[in-house]
Amino acid sequence: MTTVLSPHPDLDDNILFDRSARTRWRIGFDRWIGRLLPLLFLVAILPILGMVYWVSEQALPTLTWTIIVGQSPYATDQLGVPIIGTFELMLIATLLSVVLGLFGGVATAELLSPRAASVVRMTANMLVGTPSVIIGFFGFFVFVLYFGWGLSLIAGAVTLSMFMTPYIFRTADLAFTSVPRHIREAALGSGAAPTQYILRIATPIALPQILTGIFLAMAIGVGETAPIVLTTTAGKLAPTSLTSPVTFLTAIIWDGFNQGSGSPFFVLAFQAAFLLMVVVVALNIVVRVVAARYQKRLEGLYQ
Amino acid sequence: MSAPAAATDGSVLSVRNLSVVAKEHRILDDISLDFPPHSLTAVVGPSGCGKTTFVRTLNRMSELTPGLRVEGSVLYLGQDIYGRGVNPVLVRRRIGMVFQRPTVFPMSIFENAAFGLRIVHEAEADIDTAVTEALQRAGLWDEVKGDLDRSAMSLSGGQQQRLCIARALAVRPRVLLLDEPTSALDPAATQRVESTMERLSEEIVLVLVTHNVGQAARVSDRVAFLHSGHLVELGPTDEILERPKDPLTQQFITGRFG
Amino acid sequence: MSQAPAPASAGGREPLPTAAPEAPARSSSGHGLSVGRLLSGIPALVPAAIVVAMVVVLLEKSQLELLPGFFSSDWNPSIAHPQYGIGVFVAGSFMTAIPAIALAMAIGLGIGIGGTTYLPRNVSRLLDPFVDLLAGIPSVVYGIWGFVVVGPYFGAVTNPWLYSHLHFLPGFGGIPPQASGQGLPLAIFLLTLMALPITTLLIRDALRSVPKDLWESGLALGATRWEVMRRVAIPYSRRGILSAGFLGFGRAFGETVAVAMVIGSVASFPANVFGTTYTMAAVIFQTVDAAQGSSNYLQALAEIALILLAISLVVNIVGRRLITGFSSEQISGL
Repeated sequence: MTTVLSPHPDLDDNILFDRSARTRWRIGFDRWIGRLLPLLFLVAILPILGMVYWVSEQALPTLTWTIIVGQSPYATDQLGVPIIGTFELMLIATLLSVVLGLFGGVATAELLSPRAASVVRMTANMLVGTPSVIIGFFGFFVFVLYFGWGLSLIAGAVTLSMFMTPYIFRTADLAFTSVPRHIREAALGSGAAPTQYILRIATPIALPQILTGIFLAMAIGVGETAPIVLTTTAGKLAPTSLTSPVTFLTAIIWDGFNQGSGSPFFVLAFQAAFLLMVVVVALNIVVRVVAARYQKRLEGLYQ
Repeated sequence: MSAPAAATDGSVLSVRNLSVVAKEHRILDDISLDFPPHSLTAVVGPSGCGKTTFVRTLNRMSELTPGLRVEGSVLYLGQDIYGRGVNPVLVRRRIGMVFQRPTVFPMSIFENAAFGLRIVHEAEADIDTAVTEALQRAGLWDEVKGDLDRSAMSLSGGQQQRLCIARALAVRPRVLLLDEPTSALDPAATQRVESTMERLSEEIVLVLVTHNVGQAARVSDRVAFLHSGHLVELGPTDEILERPKDPLTQQFITGRFG
Repeated sequence: MSQAPAPASAGGREPLPTAAPEAPARSSSGHGLSVGRLLSGIPALVPAAIVVAMVVVLLEKSQLELLPGFFSSDWNPSIAHPQYGIGVFVAGSFMTAIPAIALAMAIGLGIGIGGTTYLPRNVSRLLDPFVDLLAGIPSVVYGIWGFVVVGPYFGAVTNPWLYSHLHFLPGFGGIPPQASGQGLPLAIFLLTLMALPITTLLIRDALRSVPKDLWESGLALGATRWEVMRRVAIPYSRRGILSAGFLGFGRAFGETVAVAMVIGSVASFPANVFGTTYTMAAVIFQTVDAAQGSSNYLQALAEIALILLAISLVVNIVGRRLITGFSSEQISGL
């Protein structure tokens, strides 16, 4: 496509073909850094793949259905009890944190004055950034000792919910604040009471985002160790009451580590890790799917 | 600054059979025109006619949009900017661009204007003179000479836009492209930018995209009317605005659409 | 470019809207202190209540007095006259978190710049989830992977190599690194990976919110992409990038389990950069059991917890303040 009619005699304007060292360096540097920087993605991708591959490699060969489901209290190779334990912990913790987080978030978004709301938001953010061990430590003092629940399922679940609540709180808050202004004003302006607006109009719009937040909080909760280890103790059987001891998947991994590679628990730890990763990845995928649907729906609101 | 001599066919910038295609849709179709030295050409047309796309092909900014294919050639002083081995970085130094909204960088007024010179590591003394000159040419010097180290954000909208013009001028381009530079400005600021453009058109080539026919009437020497990607009519401003030859042009001028 | 804001979806993995409604400008749905309103406002106080309760409880447990020798580095709770000097733990927390955040920021910047500027949109869309997945892995799994897989490699290959080549540098000489690989390098490695999703996400969002016009103006002056990035986009996104640093540091500083598994859990200063030591979070986690008998021991742990909490809170508040606008703040999952 080169059409050079007659190159300009003024050297300054053969600029299109400037071959000075400086220009070549600038353009070359840009080109090379453009190749190098994306390679840094590997720093993130390789460890992930490595972890997933390695855990699978350790766990899958010996993983059987019995292992997953079996609940024999003295077997060193069955995960049924811890799975039930994780499940029950998550059930109680999720319920509690959804209730607290949802109501709290909605209240912050809709009912509080702007100043109060920003203070509340700040505390929620502070809580999110708190190291999980401190929440566990706090739970130990308050629920295990002071309330007298002992090292139990309920202490663990409530402590876990304190960890999960701020995530749901913030998501609910954002979800309701993101309801398009014109919809909110139209609803309230036509005389709807705040509760009616919240229930009938805002919630359906905010729902996907809230679900996203809940699943995300669950993904985080299921992988937590410290807060629960500090507030529960391992039981051999599935918990029978709220005050019974409970053992759970992350504890299995932690115990397996502590006992070293000689112990039979070590292999079990990998299988627990594998199951955990499956759950976490599954939750993450669900979150993305819900988020994608939400995006489409929200675009419709702006037509 | 020495008077820019032209390529053999007399123009600084020439467009030959330019088409821009995206997927199956031709955004621009077979446009050819020349831009003579010391001129201000207004590119007008209804929304969606391709005038912004057109102007962006003149300094290879169209490449920033993925999926666009450019056919034909754009000749700067006789050399095709789309030719083999021509790096867009070099093209843009000679064909500058001012955008619709003022886009000052988060730095001082001086550093904004000096940006194009800093990246090629010009000598400090040369930068000083070039910045002063550019601010004068952009008509901003008197207003800012007191404190060039002030943040550019502290300027008004109109001043920021003139700073953007100065910034583009500092690297001494022979062509300046302006994509609706006054649409975000109030009438007083608009008027100052317009007088700056008029002055500059005596020194370099300006290509002005505008949806404001009145503006075209005020500042331009020639008008190019685009419609649906075609160059419908091109000619001196008076002729196009008062005695358009093509019915489409007529309709646009009289406000039927656009 | 549509006007519809993209949601804070996938836990904030998608870019968040700059057009999100501004929370502060919003007035509440009505006024008046009805009982109903008061009651429904109560759940909003839960986070505040928890934070306050935590501080109160910890203060109470610490009995509002510092044990003698608190700021020393002698930590010996098990001897006849126990000592509770926390110097080691504080140092250990910083010694692990600071290099980790430095690395996570450097890599995060690289990935952020590479992904937004040099890769086509669909490629970076494809690669971003992998970085986010790093955040989802439970820290026990990091720990066990670190201990079983990476540790021996560090112990057998990386550390000895560094030691043999760099032992003349201050801090690199002395005791040769352990074969197990436990110690600072391994901990820093894991913490970097754990902080990376935060830094990458926040930096990426900050860079993506640079207005297109600004970016193009830089290019239109004949600058290369790198030059625009370095001289325009990064200065413009300063706040977002700084907040990435603070929040990522908070994450690394408070990380408990993974660090506990690879740091060696030894209450002494590391002999050199390869040495083993302890961090605040790890020591609390691992010694609560042992501390149950002694009220002084618990008191010491509560005081450590207070310091850890205080630093975390400050870092988080500063980090969040830096993020302009309500939208970027709501990155759930961080």
